[in-house]
Amino acid sequence: MSEEPRIVDGSRVLGVVPGKPAVGEEKIPARQRLVFVWPHLLVRHAVASLGVLLFVLAVSLVFDAPLREIANPMSTPNPEKAPWYFVGLQELLSHLHPMIAGVLLPGLIVIGLVALPYIDRNPQKRARYRKVAVWTFTLFLVAWLAATIIGFAFRGPDWTWVWPWNGWYGEL
Amino acid sequence: MKPTVTERVKETTVGRSIFRVPDRQTPRERAEGHWANFFLHLYPVKIRREELGFRYSWYLGVISLTLFVSLIVSGVYLMFFYVPSPTTAYGNIQFLQTSVPFGQFIRNVHRWSAHLMVVAVMAHMAKVFYRGAYKPPREFNWVIGVVLLVLTLLMSFTGYLLPWDQLAYWAITVGTSLAAYVPFVGKQVSQLLLGGPQVSSATLLRFYVLHVAMLPVILVMAIVIHLWRWRKDGTLDPGGELDV
Repeated sequence: MSEEPRIVDGSRVLGVVPGKPAVGEEKIPARQRLVFVWPHLLVRHAVASLGVLLFVLAVSLVFDAPLREIANPMSTPNPEKAPWYFVGLQELLSHLHPMIAGVLLPGLIVIGLVALPYIDRNPQKRARYRKVAVWTFTLFLVAWLAATIIGFAFRGPDWTWVWPWNGWYGEL
Repeated sequence: MKPTVTERVKETTVGRSIFRVPDRQTPRERAEGHWANFFLHLYPVKIRREELGFRYSWYLGVISLTLFVSLIVSGVYLMFFYVPSPTTAYGNIQFLQTSVPFGQFIRNVHRWSAHLMVVAVMAHMAKVFYRGAYKPPREFNWVIGVVLLVLTLLMSFTGYLLPWDQLAYWAITVGTSLAAYVPFVGKQVSQLLLGGPQVSSATLLRFYVLHVAMLPVILVMAIVIHLWRWRKDGTLDPGGELDV
């Protein structure tokens, strides 16, 4: 044995033992292995960030923010609409008592959202194992979207139904 | 290997005074470097590979944050040209649009970023729901997320009044008229919000102060806590390796 000792990482290798690694088989699937946030995530975030910024700048070059005539408390426009994210509530307001649509419902939505993780104790994360939660949330989401779209695009003077192609009253 | 330009700059006296840290080579050194960096410390050092892709998050969190930063930058510019009074506000906006360099453009950026931020925050919430990411240990970060959504809506709503045009005035009139229906204290809530029986100069001043001072400070604090908990919860998640 006149062979020179093999050096790996500053240590002398005395022998190689065949078989499985002493620490056992790798149990963590590839998608769950940890990777460094820099650069892997931060590069993606930078691209997403710049993409959005570019989009906003492009939109701002093409479309001007609206500015109507000066505020006049004596002249009420018809229809008068809330900002788009509240127009769903305004739509409900035309069907329900203001106490329900204007106070109770928004209050319940916020409380319901806050309480969600404490009500839904099902540990499953995949949609197919949590049908009740997914269906409830989706139903709520669709109803809210529908009310918002109707209020925004389908309501005209005196909150009557107007098809968007017959008259446009939505404003951003 | 020949040293790169950055490496050469770091070697100089000035360079060494700015970049305190030695080169990070091993994973351990890199992790330490991440922790030591002021700007990176809100991020975790490592995350699971599956969290990287577009499909996981649609990047809606960072998109919301980007829009918020865009709103701060454009909003500060607008503040230089705006006085919150019914006699001046509307004229200020007209002057801004016609006579201030990039005035119209910056106002557009502010307006469209605001609408997009509301959309992005709502979409972020929906995506987090469908991913089941509000489950333990992340329950409370979801709650902070709901607070952030409400704050975003309030920011947008208070800002909506500031141009003092017909659109602003009547949208806020409709929105605030609901306050009167709050049981028992409806009148007081309405009074507190509007500073009078209807939308007036007092309302404009209140909304302005809320919009440029109070709400942004609260929002920034809530975002910082939101990110900090995101980092902390990541290491508590049984789905991931407990490492570094």
